[in-house]
Amino acid sequence: MPQSSAARSERRAERSLGALSSLVLVLITAMCLFVLLKAWPSFSHNGPMWFGWGGNVDDQLAAIFNSPANPAKWDYTIRTWPILYATALLTIVSVAIGIVVSTLAAVFIVEFAPPSVKRVVSPVVRLLAAVPSVIYGLIGILVLVPFVGNHLIGDGRKNSVTFVVQLSGASLGVAVVILTLMITPIMIAIIADALRAVPNGWKEGALALGANRWRVMWTVVVRSARPAIIAAAVIAAARAIGEGIMLAMVSGSVGFAPNPLDGITFVFEPLRPYAATIVDNAEGLSVKPFGQTIYAMAAVLLFASLMLSLGGTLAKRPLRKYGVRL
Amino acid sequence: MNSPTPLPPIKRIDPSRAPKVVDPRHDTLGAADAIAAAVAPGSSNRVERMRIDDLSIAYGTKPAVRNVTLPVREGEVLALIGPSGCGKTTLLRSLNRLTELTDTAVATGSITLNGDDIHALEATDLRRRVSMVFQQPNPFPMSIFDNVAYAIREQAARRPSKSALAPLVREALEDAGLWDEVGDNLDHPALRLSGGQQQRLCIARALASKPEVLLMDEPCSALDPKSTEIIEELITRLREKVAIVIVTHNLQQAHRVGDNVAFMYLGELVEYGTVEQVFNAPRAERTQNYVGGVFG
Ligand SMILES: Nc1ncnc2c1ncn2[C@@H]1O[C@H](COP(=O)(O)OP(=O)(O)O)[C@@H](O)[C@H]1O
Ligand SMILES: [Mg+2]
Repeated sequence: MPQSSAARSERRAERSLGALSSLVLVLITAMCLFVLLKAWPSFSHNGPMWFGWGGNVDDQLAAIFNSPANPAKWDYTIRTWPILYATALLTIVSVAIGIVVSTLAAVFIVEFAPPSVKRVVSPVVRLLAAVPSVIYGLIGILVLVPFVGNHLIGDGRKNSVTFVVQLSGASLGVAVVILTLMITPIMIAIIADALRAVPNGWKEGALALGANRWRVMWTVVVRSARPAIIAAAVIAAARAIGEGIMLAMVSGSVGFAPNPLDGITFVFEPLRPYAATIVDNAEGLSVKPFGQTIYAMAAVLLFASLMLSLGGTLAKRPLRKYGVRL
Repeated sequence: MNSPTPLPPIKRIDPSRAPKVVDPRHDTLGAADAIAAAVAPGSSNRVERMRIDDLSIAYGTKPAVRNVTLPVREGEVLALIGPSGCGKTTLLRSLNRLTELTDTAVATGSITLNGDDIHALEATDLRRRVSMVFQQPNPFPMSIFDNVAYAIREQAARRPSKSALAPLVREALEDAGLWDEVGDNLDHPALRLSGGQQQRLCIARALASKPEVLLMDEPCSALDPKSTEIIEELITRLREKVAIVIVTHNLQQAHRVGDNVAFMYLGELVEYGTVEQVFNAPRAERTQNYVGGVFG
């Protein structure tokens, strides 16, 4: 019977899809467990102070790398606060700027740009979203870092912090600029798609109630695209948190926590997030305690991305109530 | 009738569906004078809210409305009827300048609101005074309260408090006959309401800014018979508060809710008069063919 065979093939498809997604789940769980297992000695030796503040984190990493051969004397002591702080600072600042910029850009592209501009801009944005991060890193290190180092940071400023940290141009400011440039195109693409999907009837309805075009944009169109803005922010934050290579190139790669109290100098101070730390130290993984420390950083990144997607889902939930779509 | 040649009959109309009339010829058959007198100012003692004068609208080079003159009076429901594509929606949307959203639309002639040219008003101001209900219910993805309060909030210089809005929202919902059903659940999502409730919410939303004229473009065509009946009763009640222009392709509906009926055909106004006159004693032969036989 054709019907029963169709039903059977449907069941089979269902079963194989189920098996496939279970397999993916198992693999992800296994990966998390593996990383956590590898990371455990570093966490257990330091306790909560693993995230804490104290000493120079780069010196601590060096000491771990130079641990004596005797496993009983392995050094694990690390206080990763500057790295945690750098990761959070870079991600939060660039995603915050990215949300504002990409929402405005998407509104412009979808609602206000003349058709000729629309035709050009949309594919360009998608193309930019696909540019590999190393390219952004190269542009940063070849163009922006020397420019900032030679023209924006005066000798006076360099001397003012000379005993604390060296200002080369690779800095928080450059890292934020490049990181924002890198994550904005994908955000624009996601938000613009959502804006385009807002039913015309809502826009006309609002216009017919006497709202002007800008108000319609904010009160109806962008409002109903909020879940997409959250989704875009989550994807962008995930990219930003996990970005290692580009940030290793332009952040200065120093385990330093830029201090906002330094005023403008704050922007020119170097830093290094977890992902860049992993990239920079990949060749040291064969030293057991060092490898375990690096794995601990990977575990933190894994946990952070899990939290991100969970947070995004939770943030979207209240919006769903009113039928706001993604 | 002083028709030289009788027009070919128009295909019989199923009143619940828009008829497709394929006949490029048209002629008001000498009824023109009587109709011109009926649409002229001063033909009624009621106050004129809006006056459409010699209005023509074209999309690019394609005319959609041709030389239409019509009054919209206080306390009356004006029903616009005519086969699909004859320009009813275009005419209606020109009354609150929504046609301006279509780049290709060109209009000549004049439309006034209480004697003022509507193009001399701010579009936002005009649209609060001449508000609109669409064919498809289009509540915003917000709470019922926020939907109804939308126009008031947009109108206000400073953001009004919820407690200041509450009585206005309630009044609008009562006027739209929806208060009894949703009064306890104002924070519920508007999109969860049934289709008929959504349309009444849209009516409440349009009434909240206390408009002088309410435009309705086939407001029941997406609704079930029960909801249609509720909305027709509502229209009959609302005419005391606000001048109503309703587009409908349903002749029975025009008969039930209309005080005056305008029949359009291929962009032209073919017939205008009271509902009794248009349905029982149409002046133009085209109208006879269109409405004839539907009643009695
Ligand atoms: N946005 C538009 N662009 C071009 N032509 C249009 C547009 N809207 C309507 N028309 C044309 O104008 C004529 C009148 O349309 P419409 O006012 O919608 O008629 P009705 O509401 O009576 O069905 C139709 O021939 C239609 O194809
Ligand atoms: Mg229409």
